[in-house]
Amino acid sequence: MNEQEIREKIKELLIDSLGIEAEVLTDDVPLFGDGIGLDSIDSLEMIAAIDKEFGVSMTGVGKEPFYNVASLAKYVAEHK
Amino acid sequence: MTENKNRCVITGLGMVCAIGNSVDETWNNALKGVSGIKNTKTVDIEGCYATLAAEVHDNTLDECPHADEMDRVSKLCVKAAKEALADAAYTIPEDEKKRVSVIMGSCVGGVNSVEAYYRNGEKAEDVTKMPISAIANEVAYVYGADGVVTNIANACAAGTISIAYACDLIRAGKCDVAIAGGADAFASVPYAGFLSLHALAENGCSPFNHCDGITLGEGSGVLIVESYEHAVARGAKIYCEVLGSGVSSDAHHITAPREDGEGQMNAIRWGMKASGVDESEIGYINAHGTGTAKNDMAEFLSLHTIFDDKNDNLSVSSTKAMVGHCLGAAGSIEAVFSIKALTENMVPPTVGYSDEDIENLKEKAGKIDFRPNEPKEKKLDTVMSNSFAFGGNNASIIFSKNAGNVELPEKEKVYITGLGVVAPCGNGVENYVEKFNADVKPESTSVASAVGSADYAACGLKMAFYRKLDKFSQLQAVSGMNAIQNAGLTISDDNAKDIGIAVGTAAGPLATICHFQKDLIEGGNVAGSAFKFPNTVYNAAGGYLSICSGIKGYNVTVTNGAQSGLSSIAYGVEVLRQGKNKVMLATGTDENCDTMTELYGKLGKVATEVDGAYSGMTGYVLGDGSTTLVLETASSVKERGVKPYAEVAGYGMSHEAVAFGKLEGSEAALVEAVKLAAEDAGMKLGDIDAIVGFGNGDAVTDSLELDAYKKLFGDKLSELPVFTVKDTTGEGRAASAALSAGHAALLLSDKYEVAGRAYKLDGEKMVQTTVDTKTLKNVLVTSYGLGGSYCAVIIKK
Repeated sequence: MNEQEIREKIKELLIDSLGIEAEVLTDDVPLFGDGIGLDSIDSLEMIAAIDKEFGVSMTGVGKEPFYNVASLAKYVAEHK
Repeated sequence: MTENKNRCVITGLGMVCAIGNSVDETWNNALKGVSGIKNTKTVDIEGCYATLAAEVHDNTLDECPHADEMDRVSKLCVKAAKEALADAAYTIPEDEKKRVSVIMGSCVGGVNSVEAYYRNGEKAEDVTKMPISAIANEVAYVYGADGVVTNIANACAAGTISIAYACDLIRAGKCDVAIAGGADAFASVPYAGFLSLHALAENGCSPFNHCDGITLGEGSGVLIVESYEHAVARGAKIYCEVLGSGVSSDAHHITAPREDGEGQMNAIRWGMKASGVDESEIGYINAHGTGTAKNDMAEFLSLHTIFDDKNDNLSVSSTKAMVGHCLGAAGSIEAVFSIKALTENMVPPTVGYSDEDIENLKEKAGKIDFRPNEPKEKKLDTVMSNSFAFGGNNASIIFSKNAGNVELPEKEKVYITGLGVVAPCGNGVENYVEKFNADVKPESTSVASAVGSADYAACGLKMAFYRKLDKFSQLQAVSGMNAIQNAGLTISDDNAKDIGIAVGTAAGPLATICHFQKDLIEGGNVAGSAFKFPNTVYNAAGGYLSICSGIKGYNVTVTNGAQSGLSSIAYGVEVLRQGKNKVMLATGTDENCDTMTELYGKLGKVATEVDGAYSGMTGYVLGDGSTTLVLETASSVKERGVKPYAEVAGYGMSHEAVAFGKLEGSEAALVEAVKLAAEDAGMKLGDIDAIVGFGNGDAVTDSLELDAYKKLFGDKLSELPVFTVKDTTGEGRAASAALSAGHAALLLSDKYEVAGRAYKLDGEKMVQTTVDTKTLKNVLVTSYGLGGSYCAVIIKK
């Protein structure tokens, strides 16, 4: 799976598990900003989904990789 | 001093929890500091980081009538109720049954039966055990109580609010005795849910100490709350008085408490104000003290802010360190602990402190005695029990050896000033009227409401908020916000605390609970979704509504079948009459989806073809939706200068215990509820000139309804038009019950032109007719709940 494919898969996970509307979920929209407004509970859910899908544990990882879909995909690609 | 007619006393106690199967056993163990927290063997723990629970070990739970028809949660409650009634030396006499209420709190209800349903071949017999509704019905059925029977579903505050409501009903003259309390059973759903939130403590909860999470418990606490006059008349032993209570909303977050403690402090201060006691009079507080960092830090702050400098002799403890967090039972179990503390003059400890912990506690405790490890003998006159729940729901209640200074204000009239409607036929009041007038029928035998981006945009809700809600909460959020707009109500810092919410629901978020449970069966308890879990709680919808509207006043979720959508109005009226708030949003909300259609189908409730009320079908068209009514006191209506739709003139609630899931044989309670509503409204039955009934097409329901009307109105029934909203929306359960009240308000108001399409009795048959609605003055609204509960409300022009 290349990084672009990982991005698409992550979007799918976020739409399914966090109720985000597809049309606003671009690669670079901030996930924790006003528009989407993820919070700590959502990050637990996101970590569980990424672990299940890619086998990559993000527990205890700093804030940066969670910034947007692109940064999440980059982290997953590097740690897969 | 509180006038005798307003005094409520406790005359019986019952309790089952991890450290005892009776009040005495529990209390003795509590004073010894025994902890009931052990490794659980009843749920799957594979891969789970926390494996502790405080479970009940009682092999007598099945020794009650028809135990095979009950979930564990009802068995726990029936057991505690048995002890409480025996302790009160009260066997309900036949002629007092109607004056005895049952009010039970629960958070997760029959979730063990949800698990059993999916594990054991999806049998119908498990379906009726699932909802919280079953609990109070089972208690009423076993012990023969026929007054107000309902359940309070406000998560971890439910057990406290149920006792508070019992007192409100007694003071309102609605009953003489209430069997009140709460129950919850340990189960996979709450275990996996709190696990997913990382909210479980690995080594057992450590309130006001290590504060690294909760440990779940289970059990039930039941109290016999009685009017002072009734207790004295029968020569009952009196433990203590129940003074006032305070219930508030955080308007902040669905799982986390406000860090500034505002909601907690509001509940505590309102509780003291309603009791007529001040800070210096409280000798002991049984704290919420869950052991999570967020709760405990907020609670330290709240207690210090309120009591420092005003009370140098305050003791506080959290008994959760011994019995775990019993969720909907917590408030009731802690009420029993508080009353034992008060009457035995003994403060129970918070256990689990090392010497080093005690040293660390000193700074956090200040002058407050956060009693670690050992009980303390102390003369107590007045004590408080606090519960702060999921959804930002806070409740505080005060027990005392003294009669306090409880004062009820002059009863104000209550008006309906706003309506919000979400229904399968579309959303908004105008749309509903248009569809009703056009006689639009449901498209199939199972119809569902939809809310989308246009609805959210119209009520100013952003995706960051609504994406978190399950469908049940979405329906409620949209109808609630619509109603606020419809009432022209602006919520600001100035009025937020004067506005409250009473949500009514039959099944709550049962579909979400089922989905969550199915994930656990598939992936183990380690697979719980942190995103979904908060929505499995019945009061999530009320919590979200408080968050998105900013409402900070009362917040309750009441659940007992379809009639919950009317009993929420009755609840709201009582909150307003007793001066607790100026405005109440009273709602009815239930959802339909594939899962709900499957569950109702198992019970044979879904009809095979679309037909209307009084058509003699088996089952009905299953619908859903959410209706919100804005109820407002006369003075608030005047102050705001708004024109109401109509007045809520009175309400009545009654029960005739039949097996939960059944209605047959309970029509006497409908007759009684209507008579009580007329009495409450100061009317005669002859003053009623129309009915919005609960006819849904199901032969059993419809014939029972008609039989009751015949008994009430005799020959005059043929002149009374009977309206039904369900020909338009399907059986939306609580949503339809609340919409029926809304429909009555629409008929009586000139804000919209509503068609006069109704049914009238012609010989033995109900036939459709058109009536002139302009002449209507008093409209009776009725609804039913399986198990034999009825609510009637009279709406006046």
